[in-house]
Order: sequence, then structure tokens, then C-alpha cells
Amino acid sequence: MTEIIVVTSGKGGVGKTTTSASLSCGLARRGKKVAVIDFDIGLRNLDLIMGCERRVVYDFVNVIQGDCTLKQALIKDKRIETLYVLAASQTRDKDALSPEGVRRVLDELAADGFDYVICDSPAGIEKGAHLAMYFADRAVVVVNPEVSSVRDSDRILGLLASKTQRAEQGNGGVKEHLLLTRYSPRRVATGEMMSVNDVKEILGLDVIGVVPESTDVLSASNAGVPVILNEESDASRAYDDAVARLLGESLPLRFVDEQKKGFFARLFGG
Amino acid sequence: MMMNKPADISREPSRESAIDIRFGQVGLVQVRIRTTDPGAILDELTGRIATAPRFFERTAVCLDLSGLEKSPDVAEVRGVIDAVKRAGMLSIGLTTGSLGVEALSGALQIPVLSHFRPQNQPVPVVQPAPQPAESAGLPALMHHQTVRSGQRVYARNRDLVVTAMVSAGAEVMADGCVHIYGPLRGRAMAGAREDVTARVFCHEFHAELVSIAGVFRVFETIPPDLAGKPVQAWLDGDKLNFSRIGG
Repeated sequence: MTEIIVVTSGKGGVGKTTTSASLSCGLARRGKKVAVIDFDIGLRNLDLIMGCERRVVYDFVNVIQGDCTLKQALIKDKRIETLYVLAASQTRDKDALSPEGVRRVLDELAADGFDYVICDSPAGIEKGAHLAMYFADRAVVVVNPEVSSVRDSDRILGLLASKTQRAEQGNGGVKEHLLLTRYSPRRVATGEMMSVNDVKEILGLDVIGVVPESTDVLSASNAGVPVILNEESDASRAYDDAVARLLGESLPLRFVDEQKKGFFARLFGG
Repeated sequence: MMMNKPADISREPSRESAIDIRFGQVGLVQVRIRTTDPGAILDELTGRIATAPRFFERTAVCLDLSGLEKSPDVAEVRGVIDAVKRAGMLSIGLTTGSLGVEALSGALQIPVLSHFRPQNQPVPVVQPAPQPAESAGLPALMHHQTVRSGQRVYARNRDLVVTAMVSAGAEVMADGCVHIYGPLRGRAMAGAREDVTARVFCHEFHAELVSIAGVFRVFETIPPDLAGKPVQAWLDGDKLNFSRIGG
């Protein structure tokens, strides 16, 4: 049984692609067979974050238009055996995607025995984003702890509840999860940033992960190594927790509180 | 005045006809003028709009001429329409109920909209619902999911009960009362077809806008005594009242 997970947000630049890359690596690392698809046609990024940009020969649009087979377009990850990337086309626009085409690709991935298909949605609420979410079983809504991102996520959650195949068929809808990124406990403590609880309350959903603001994310992106693979990083641990929760484990949230003061600082009330 | 927006619109695609004619209800702001001086109107509209600029941007408005002392002539009304337009809103009709409005409508090629209650007539505080037979029998429309930003729920000829929250940027609307057993962060409109006895109830008040029978209030900031509290809103004459409920 293949599960289709869309990673979406409405707003751009909140960390959808970083999240798609890390979640797919995390799932694959736990032995799942995973395909991650870049739906951002014309602004292809996922292949860069995954570090396979030089191996893109055929892309998602080529498969949909029948220029090649799905097998030819799937790029096998060099680090994890069971992970495959389907890149977006850099030269086409979003009109190249069609619902029938997307359905055919997803059906074929299911027939190939993939456990998870991660759909990396483009920003916005237009065709690309719509198609990325339409066939989803679950959604990971990536949100930054600030008002405009929260508002856009709310809009996306409304679309997930109405404009998806599951919503239209009325079979329970898409299961929704929140994932906070760029979280800075220090700025929450000073009141500059919304807290996990603020976001949870406004969106009325549970949080599947809180990824702390970290310079490791940028350097990981530039190096083409999904940040989850950088074991030293808090962001990596936070993503790995999120993967575990996606798989049904229940873990306490980490990295949501300001780091404990040292013994001397506490002693002297510093 | 905010009025009801959507109606049940059938989604049947038509392959034969070049057009589909559908019946729907739209949001309308009513502007009642007491002068035909375009300068005075423009000044005052600009001032009012400044409190909620995006709410009024290119809003369709209906002109209510019933507050004028004498019937205006065509040129005067044209001046008013122009002033309203310069303030950023678009006049799309005249309300009925004032003298000579039919003639003006013909001369200006602008429709007369009949559903408005001209405000110079005394507002009955307790008024039977417009279609008592229709509205009495229908059970409330139950909505159990969060109404998210950009979504709209409308209960036609009945009450609306929402058992989840109404997000900022969402709209809930009913011809009867609106009951929200959760936070109200968006807009709530009761009495969308002019039932002045309709009320809005919510469990946690953070509304952007509340309207009853077209009388509305925009909340740029929530009064501290209402914020986050269970609140009801009702209409007393032309005044929209808010109070805490349940202690």
C-alpha cells in the first residue's frame, strides 16, 4: 500500500523542499522505498537539495508526456538504497502537468511497490500546488512561526479539506500534520516569534515536528546533502523525530525550549 | 451594509449554451447620503475607508438616497457616483424607497435594488422573519470542520452551527443565527436576509467583522473585555450590541 504525502505550505521560502528532502531520506533510511517528486515545474530545486542535479536527464514532465519511461526518469539516490528522486522540468511551466498524467505516474509508483511518495509542492495555491495535493493521503504543512505563514497555511488546510480527491470522495479526507521550521526558542522567549502553542491554537492541529532555526540547513542545501543526514545538527534530529512520528511513534517535542542555562549562570541568577 | 454572499450554485457544466444564468446573492455596502455635495461625500468616505482600507477596496455599493431632504436631479446623483468612485468604491445601484428613484434609475442606467430596507423608516425591533414558513421548519446547518481562511459557509433560511473554529479570513453566514462553539477569528454574518432578530454567538471572540441584518462592525482591535470570551451580538434598532455571555 503506497502512501502519498504532500509537503505544502502556501507561502514560499518556508522550507518545503528542505522538508521534502529530509523526510524522504529519513523514511528511506528506515528501510522504506521512497520516491520524492518535485512539483515545482519551471523552478526545479529539489534535485539541488538532494545533490543529484547533474544526473537529471529526464524529468516529471517528460514522463507525463510519454517522452520516456518512469524508470528512466527516476534518479536513484547514491547514499540511500531505497530512495528515488523525480525532478521537475526547468524549461516547462506548470501547465505541462495534467491531473491524468500525475495520476498515471502515482499509480505506476504504487505498482512498483513504493511505500511512500513525497510530493514537494510549489508555493501558492495554483495549479502546481493543487496537483501536488490532489492525490495525497496525508499532508505535512510546513509553517514558520510568523503570522503570514500561519495565515497561508490555514488557507492551504482549507484547500486540503475541500479540493483533494479524498475530500471529494468523502473517505475521511487528507490526514494533516503541522511541521514548524526556522523555530527559534530564544526569539519566542523574547516575544518576537510565535510559539509552538500559538501556532497550534490558531491552526487547530497537532505538530509533527519543530525544526530549530539552524545554519546547518543552509550549508546542507548548498552542499546538496539533505540536512537530516548531518548527524551533528539539531535540525537533523528534529527531522528524524518528525519521521518517527509520521510512522506512528510518539515522541516528546525537542528544541522548543530555550537551552538550559549552565550551572554557574543559574547559581548567580545570570 | 454587508449582505449575504453565495447561494447554492449548481456546478453542472453546460455544453450547449453560450452562457449560464445563475441566481446568487452578493455582498453589498450601502451608502446612505445626506448631501449631494461630492466634496463632502468624498472627504467622509475617504475618512471612513481609512479605518479598514482593504475591506472597501473596489467594493460594490448601493446608494441610498432616502436621507436627502429633496429628490436629487440626475446631475447631482452623477456627481455622487463619481465621488464614491474616487473613494475607491463602485456604485452599482440605487435603493428603493425614495421619491423619483425610478426616473433616476432610467436616466443613469443604473439598477434599483429592491431588497434594501431604507434606513429612514423606523426599524422594527422585533420583526417576524421574512419567510416564516420557510425558515421555521429547517433544522440548523451543522458544520463540524474548521472553517479555514478563504472558505465560506452559508446557511440559507436557517441557523448555522459551527462546532469547530472559524479562522481569520474565513466567513460564516446564515439567514438565521450563527452559533460558533469555538474561536471566531474571521467574519460572522447573521440575518443575512434582513432578519433583525438574528444573533451571533461564539465561544471565543476574536472576530474580524460581525454583521447582523446588514449592520456590521469591523474589529481592528478587539475590546479587551470581549477578547477570547464567549460573546453574543444582537441588533437593537440600528445599533449592533456585543456582550459577554455565560459569566
